[in-house]
Amino acid sequence: MRSIQKCLVALSIIAGVAAPLGAGVSGASTTSSFPLTLKMADGTFTFTTRPDAIVSLSPTSTEMLYAIGAGSQVKAVDNYSDYPTNAPKTTLSGYDPNVEAIAKYNPDLVIVASDTANFNTQMAALKIPVLYDPAASNLSQACAEYGPLGKVTGHNAQADKEVATIKATIAHIVATTPHAKKNTTYYYELEPDYYSVTSATFVGKLFSLLGLTSIADSAKGLASSGGYPQLNASFILKANPTYIFLADTLCCNATAASVTARPGWSTLSAVKNHRIVPLNDDIASRWGPRITILLQDVADGLKGTPVPASS
Amino acid sequence: MAAREIEAAQAIVEFRDLVVRYAESTALHSVTHSVERGRWLGLIGANGAGKTSLLKALARLVPFEGIIYVEGRSTLELSRREFAQLVAYVPQKPEFPPEMRAIDYVALGRLPHLGYFGAEGPNDRAQSLDLLNRLSLGAMATRHLSTMSGGELQRLVLARALAQDAPVLLLDEPTSALDLGRRVEALELVDELRIERGLTVVSAMHDLTLAAQFADELALLSGGEIVATGTAEEVLQEGSLDFHFGTRVQILRTDDGELIVVPRRTKPKGPHG
Amino acid sequence: MSTERRVKTAQLATSAISPRVPLLVAGIGLVVVILISTAVGPANLSIPTVAGILLSHVPLLHFHSGASAIDHAIVWDIQLPRVILGGIVGAMLAAGGASYQGVFRNALADPYLLGIAAGAGLGATIVIVASSGSTTWLPAAAFVGGAVAVTLTYIVGAKFGGRSSGNSVVLAGVAVAALFTAVQTSLLQQHAPDLQSVYSWILGSLASATWSNVWLIAPYAVVSATVLLTHRRLLDVLRLGEEEAASLGVNTRRVRLIVVAAATLGTAAAVSVSGLIGFVGIIVPHMVRLTTNASYRVVMPVSIVGGAAFLILADMVAHTIESPAEVPLGVVTAIVGAPFFIFVLRSRRAQQGVL
Repeated sequence: MRSIQKCLVALSIIAGVAAPLGAGVSGASTTSSFPLTLKMADGTFTFTTRPDAIVSLSPTSTEMLYAIGAGSQVKAVDNYSDYPTNAPKTTLSGYDPNVEAIAKYNPDLVIVASDTANFNTQMAALKIPVLYDPAASNLSQACAEYGPLGKVTGHNAQADKEVATIKATIAHIVATTPHAKKNTTYYYELEPDYYSVTSATFVGKLFSLLGLTSIADSAKGLASSGGYPQLNASFILKANPTYIFLADTLCCNATAASVTARPGWSTLSAVKNHRIVPLNDDIASRWGPRITILLQDVADGLKGTPVPASS
Repeated sequence: MAAREIEAAQAIVEFRDLVVRYAESTALHSVTHSVERGRWLGLIGANGAGKTSLLKALARLVPFEGIIYVEGRSTLELSRREFAQLVAYVPQKPEFPPEMRAIDYVALGRLPHLGYFGAEGPNDRAQSLDLLNRLSLGAMATRHLSTMSGGELQRLVLARALAQDAPVLLLDEPTSALDLGRRVEALELVDELRIERGLTVVSAMHDLTLAAQFADELALLSGGEIVATGTAEEVLQEGSLDFHFGTRVQILRTDDGELIVVPRRTKPKGPHG
Repeated sequence: MSTERRVKTAQLATSAISPRVPLLVAGIGLVVVILISTAVGPANLSIPTVAGILLSHVPLLHFHSGASAIDHAIVWDIQLPRVILGGIVGAMLAAGGASYQGVFRNALADPYLLGIAAGAGLGATIVIVASSGSTTWLPAAAFVGGAVAVTLTYIVGAKFGGRSSGNSVVLAGVAVAALFTAVQTSLLQQHAPDLQSVYSWILGSLASATWSNVWLIAPYAVVSATVLLTHRRLLDVLRLGEEEAASLGVNTRRVRLIVVAAATLGTAAAVSVSGLIGFVGIIVPHMVRLTTNASYRVVMPVSIVGGAAFLILADMVAHTIESPAEVPLGVVTAIVGAPFFIFVLRSRRAQQGVL
């Protein structure tokens, strides 16, 4: 392909990527001035100073906080927030939040990823502000969470910068990865009992950026599974995906070798041609700053570059 | 008496100092007796006197103290199978699995003679069929128990007990479920088979008149003890029966010399109207 | 009665009840079900293709099917072990049900009566929670858990039951099951993320069946089936009740213990690879009784074959209805089983309380 054409292709890819991402980089936001009144998940609160006893009950939110420079304001994080490693991990649960246990930390801001009416009512009664940052279903939703986070913690500029970096990195990865041929499919393994993702999920959309289609897209009963259908071995074998991505390496010790050893799987072309790509479970299940690493791991898998053990 | 007659007349069932205790009470307080081969011993007495407990002890179905001999051997020394080959027991209310065929029910009686897993041989089947025929049930061989009448089931139980080929037959109230006509029929059948096969019968009986007519020997139980044994003449005394049954009886004699025990009112009949 | 009829009745009577005909019918049904079930699925292979693949594995036949390597792998490595495993599990559950019904003389007894389900569930939960997802020790833990529960039930029931030990054992089973379930629930409370794994195991599934699962439980299945089949005559004798069976020379306590032990062994093996699949132990023996004969001579062997066919069929439904997702097997058998359970409850037999 001639260089002009290559350039045009690259530009159109970036445009194609940028369009759903919304407007380009806007002007830097002004740093919040405290006191600040904001509407939170459990009511309207006035923050007299910037919060510095933040409790994060969502691993993704924890990563976001540190990425925008608010790490020093974090007092406690939930038991699954393992990144960055110096985050103050506690036994608090994000799945089943215990209001009393949370209150013991005297937080001035609590961030959760699941919204239960009961929790909000109880926190409102304790006058603790709750920021609700649910799982994003696409890239723009994920990026949109940085703004409010930056605003409430007083790191507006850094939040914007982080978003810009993420978008630029993604665009770069897409541009430098050879676009997959049509009908390049993948099987993404979420759990060893064949739970997978469709292209309509957050992860699936990232994969689509590189031209990949999930074999789970043709699985029946999608509506009821919310994009995470359970497949079975026969289905996977029959679909014969081009690539296999393993997102259960940490939880369940899935490796290329263990997949090859499954009865009958050695007949798959992905297995025969060594196109099994292990991913880091945590990175693959969060929508925070490390999604760029996820995309890079996938791109490396496509290019045949070995993915580092635990990115 | 010739040697063989002496041998034949020896006691086939003998129990000594038999005690049967249940959790709350003692049913038998050390009873001792014996039954000679080929004879019919009728156990009579009020409810709770110990008739069923005695039969069950003889059948090795309840724990007891004392000793029981069958064919000269202590029953506790015999294995379950050996014992079942010697003693057949028919309970007062037998279980009749509704979907079982009559022939299969009778064939169960052959179990003590079969191996552990109960594999039957062709002879066993043939014997069972023979017994059914003998008891006039041959036509019902393949019928389900649920389709048979009370009288037919009564005979069926006897057939099964006979299939055991055991020389001793223990019967607990064998006629309590039958009507007047069937009672005599059943007891006459037992008597015929007893003579035919040389069986020894021990039965608990409510009806004293029938007991007198069929049993060779009677044993009167009261309060867990044997208070009288002997022929019907000897045991059925008005004063004794009044006392042990707690009521008033009258003993009549027929022209043939048979005894009839008749319960009488203890209080006069009330005014009319 | 005429002479001819008398002779005919005599002939009928002299032959013992034979399971030959029902067994043949059930056997043919089983083969058909195996073929269909192996073919049906997301791969949607035709029956001739499947038959061809199966034939190519028969030693010395040198049959070459034209199927692709992937189709071959689907049939031989994935579908077939699942079908075979389903057959073994179904056979064990049905035989276990028939045995428990005979021992406890209750039409509604099923092999989970003595707490095996709760025990296996606890064992599985412990392994899932401790190793978060690794399934290597799952079968062993479920097996051991089930066996421990039943043993505990028997000891408690027999020790405190005295003469009415039959009922006491059942009640002890209720207590033991409640205890184990409570422990399991509290474990799950502390490990919420494992909830889904545990429940999908509990609801029963053959989705992860492999040939190694088959070889794992085959010895237990063989031992269990052998003991239960050889004891079927004795189970018939038990229908007469404790007293009469004893008077016929049967050591009723020992027979019941042996039968329960063998049935529990088979059930525990089944549960260890398939989770808790209910109702098979009730439905299949009853269907056999309704269509053939109540004698254990027939009920035991035909339940084994019929149970295998039934579960393979149920599994076929479970993995085709929502394909490629799996409906838990326990749900399928419950949907068929619950109405059947009520039907049995109301039937004449159950009302008479005697089998």
